[in-house]
Amino acid sequence: MLNQVFRLGLWGAQGILVYGLLMSCSNASKTTISTPLAGASGLDRQILVDVVDKVMIPNYGQFAERAADLSRAIAVFSKTPDESRLKAAQVAWVNARGAWEQTECFAFGPASSLGYDGALDTWPVNEVDVKALLNSKTTLTADTIDQLKDTEKGFHVIEYFLFGAEQPRQAAELQPKELTYLKLMGENFAGVAQKLAQSWSQGIEGKPAYREVLTTAGLEGNAVYPTLVAGFEELVQGMVDSLDEVANEKLGETLEKKDPRLAESRFSLNTLSDIKSNLRGVENLYLGKFAEENLNGLGLSAYVAQVSPKLDKTVKEQIEQAETALDQIPAPLESAILDPKAAASIQVAQSALNKVRETLEGDVKPLMTKS
Amino acid sequence: MELNFPAPEYRTIRFLRVFAFAIIASVCLSITLSQVLWTPLKTPLAGGETTVFNRTSQGFGQPAPNLTDAELALHTLGDRAFEATFVTSPAPINAGLGPQFNNVSCIGCHLRDGRGMATKGSLLVRVSLPPKALALTAEGKGAHSASLFQIDPKSLSPLTEASVSLGNAPPVPGLGTQIQDQAIYGVQPKATVAVEWQEQSGTYGDGLPYRLRSPRLDITLPDGQPLPKAVLTSLRLPPPVFGRGLLEAIPENTILALADANDKNKDGISGKPNRVWDVQQKKLVLGRFGLKANNPNLLQQNAAAYVNDMGITNPLFPDKNGGTEIDQKTLEASTFYTQTLGVPARTLVNDSGVRRGEKLFDQANCSACHIAQLKTGDHPVKAIAHQTIYPYTDLLLHDMGQGLADGRPDFDATGQEWRTPPLWGLGLTQAVLPYSTYLHDGRARTLEESILWHGGEAETSKEMFRTLSKGDRNALVRFLNSL
Repeated sequence: MLNQVFRLGLWGAQGILVYGLLMSCSNASKTTISTPLAGASGLDRQILVDVVDKVMIPNYGQFAERAADLSRAIAVFSKTPDESRLKAAQVAWVNARGAWEQTECFAFGPASSLGYDGALDTWPVNEVDVKALLNSKTTLTADTIDQLKDTEKGFHVIEYFLFGAEQPRQAAELQPKELTYLKLMGENFAGVAQKLAQSWSQGIEGKPAYREVLTTAGLEGNAVYPTLVAGFEELVQGMVDSLDEVANEKLGETLEKKDPRLAESRFSLNTLSDIKSNLRGVENLYLGKFAEENLNGLGLSAYVAQVSPKLDKTVKEQIEQAETALDQIPAPLESAILDPKAAASIQVAQSALNKVRETLEGDVKPLMTKS
Repeated sequence: MELNFPAPEYRTIRFLRVFAFAIIASVCLSITLSQVLWTPLKTPLAGGETTVFNRTSQGFGQPAPNLTDAELALHTLGDRAFEATFVTSPAPINAGLGPQFNNVSCIGCHLRDGRGMATKGSLLVRVSLPPKALALTAEGKGAHSASLFQIDPKSLSPLTEASVSLGNAPPVPGLGTQIQDQAIYGVQPKATVAVEWQEQSGTYGDGLPYRLRSPRLDITLPDGQPLPKAVLTSLRLPPPVFGRGLLEAIPENTILALADANDKNKDGISGKPNRVWDVQQKKLVLGRFGLKANNPNLLQQNAAAYVNDMGITNPLFPDKNGGTEIDQKTLEASTFYTQTLGVPARTLVNDSGVRRGEKLFDQANCSACHIAQLKTGDHPVKAIAHQTIYPYTDLLLHDMGQGLADGRPDFDATGQEWRTPPLWGLGLTQAVLPYSTYLHDGRARTLEESILWHGGEAETSKEMFRTLSKGDRNALVRFLNSL
């Protein structure tokens, strides 16, 4: 009899257990609907946090520092213009450019809303208006520069002054008003770079830090990224768009039209280096690292490797292949596009970059959105 | 033969076993039934076959996935044209800016193919004289005689400007019908525009206070004088540009069938089509684009934006000598681009708050003007033809009350009427352009404020929202953010 009571109890317990299991499954599916994919799919918030804190913010910080270095180098040069000081300012420009181009794949957020992207990096230069301003009686002040169109300040106008429309630039060619213009632009540039870094790390103009917006994707009250997957999707989209621009505009179109004037950093002959930095930025997001400051965290790779180690390996290999392919292009790109012998290397690089883009868009992104 | 009946204890146990199975089976059945009755909604295809599954900052800028390779190539060409930054002539690349302009590129205003910010460069001011000033001209008879719209461009302003709404929006001497507040070096902008925001307060039905802001324009002419008070002004925020091809492909009959200009059905909501000037056909046709539906098609909309906003003359609006700064191919490519941008699919359609909000949206009769589903008809671009779409607009004009009025008529649109803006993609607004604002002049800082500004025909709907509980208001906004 005791045995029967025991068996009865066992059945009852089994029933409750099955019921409980079924109910918990049912609840789980409902929970998934209200906060999709939180944890269940392997999307780990820590990846978002690391990508922001160990890649994006340090990269913007590095850019702001290098922009300040550039402004100082320009100030030194404009005070006492000579060849060595000109060279130092040119090097500072190239360094700032390298940091900036790495941020290209995360240009979403405040950069365009608050006008920073435009003020820092608009192309092409409005040479006619820049010359007209130089030839005018207008006194240049910080305010004058602030009010200028984006095509009359920022990276490429500074580049135009420092490197000249025709290489090589001689320090003595720059007139006093050009030096004043240059110095004021440097200061304006450094100020904008600082604000951009701040908009992500601390917030600006009373707005919350954009860091908070991205890292809280999917949490209650986040109307920008209402799901965790939307935050991840944003990262992949940024990489995809940057690779598309690099492969098909910066390389593809410039080669197709064989027009060096289409190369973005044509005054400094730095376009190929820009492109390499763009790819480095993509790699940084994928791996969650910012090697230049020895920072290592979780990147998108941590998620992809968990779901499909094979796919993770493919992405890493394709990034490496694209890097190798870019290294095969004889610098500068501005002359390589005119050299029939170099055309093949440019096409190989274009195709290698497109492969990374296609894998991210066609294989990595669907993993997140369909899981 | 002896029958072996099971012992009575054993029968009890068997009964209990069956009972236990029955309980489990019924639990399973009830769960299955609840799953069947609680049918998860499939994400509706907001743009039919042009729908893109992309809820990122680039969600408005994706090509429709159903384009052919050749169409995608044209779309890409249009994309380049749309992002091209213009500079002062002569220049090897993108020459022709100005001489007066509001911005230097299409994407300078339609940031990431979305809206613009309520700041200089994005906001622009349309101006005109009061319509009665027309009486002073010989041609001022009959508000809609075609000759009214064929005014010699030379009479407009010293500089070229596409201005086709001259019937009841006569150009202001020296200003034309749009204030270009920037200019190339050596040329004066038409005026400087300063916007001051003034605040007013209100209270929700539950006693919670809210604040609304509205713009006050301070416009100074080059001679330092303020703009004369008699000049009518209308401040405009650039709207998003995706999905516009689908709106172009909605049959005229569909739109006219939705109209109820005299409110025959007595629901307090009229809905009136605008009749606007088609520059190519040289006649009045149905208006679809622009905040007052004052443009008939995307080619004209884009061409007018080129010349008015950037000072780029083009085949539709050439300079006085017939010259153009972009060719037909570029104009057509940029038009094709705006016709073939995909529409982002909704998100969180099965979220309980979203579903409740959607019901409230219907109950508050928001859906009377923001019509969820429409069907497109024939269109030369196959990808956008015959699609079932969810734009949440009727493309008609509605009286939105004094609070939103600009007092500036535009063809058949009165100073209180605005075209119902599509709501698709609304929930992506802050991802595409953080901190951006809403409504025709960017006055609304939140979706709640946007709703609270509704008046006129939408007064009853607004009042229902205002008097909802906080939970219901949140649900309604959550629904809007799922679009």
